[in-house]
Amino acid sequence: MKAHWFWLFVGGGLGTVLRWSVSGWVAQRFGEVFPWGTLAVNVTGSFLVGFLAGLMGPEGRWWAAPETRQFLLFGVCGGYTTFSSFSLQTLNLMEDGQWALAGANVLLSVVLCLTGVWLGRHLALWVQAPKV
Amino acid sequence: MHLPEDAVLLRIFIGESDRWEHQPLYEAIVLKARELHLAGATVLRGPMGFGKSSRLHTAKILRLSMDLPVVIEIVDTEAKIQAFLPELDRMMQGGLVTLERVKVIHYRAGQRAAAEAS
Repeated sequence: MKAHWFWLFVGGGLGTVLRWSVSGWVAQRFGEVFPWGTLAVNVTGSFLVGFLAGLMGPEGRWWAAPETRQFLLFGVCGGYTTFSSFSLQTLNLMEDGQWALAGANVLLSVVLCLTGVWLGRHLALWVQAPKV
Repeated sequence: MHLPEDAVLLRIFIGESDRWEHQPLYEAIVLKARELHLAGATVLRGPMGFGKSSRLHTAKILRLSMDLPVVIEIVDTEAKIQAFLPELDRMMQGGLVTLERVKVIHYRAGQRAAAEAS
């Protein structure tokens, strides 16, 4: 058993509980007709991962152990929202001037995710459809 | 400590996840260098690199950012560096070690450190 899996497990669990709490709270207050809860989680998660990565990156002042970075960036932020990884890595591409790759990442993520969810739903409907 | 003009530069390329007896290897190497009264050591962390295994480590992709490259530079006389190499070999697993001749232009403590020492 790899020891760092344990910290990913704990971090991911914490992030997930946090997402559940925040999105529930926001949804109850604002999200009657629009998924504000999920949006709020994605935005705050992206802010959090950017802040932490800025502190712990090669140019940051906090030289955290790789396990700590894994726990916070991958575990907590990733468990909170995968949008954190998506946003951080898109920003990395943009800051290196790789606009085409950054744009492709944004476009492919939206298009392929919507395609994926559509396919999944329709596969489920097809599988459950009464056979003649 | 005096450093003659002709010295050697020892460069050690490792990963930040490398460890030696429950502490990061780069830290252990610097502490060992100080214990052996070497002239100085500097640790640098790089945003990207690969080694003998050809596995890429990069800060840009979160999943590949967990073992970023670390370089330790130590400058001292040839004799002191040669004496340090067996210690280093004992501590190191994977990595790269290089040696090159350098000319020392300037080696002195900052004013505050010098005042504290006197």
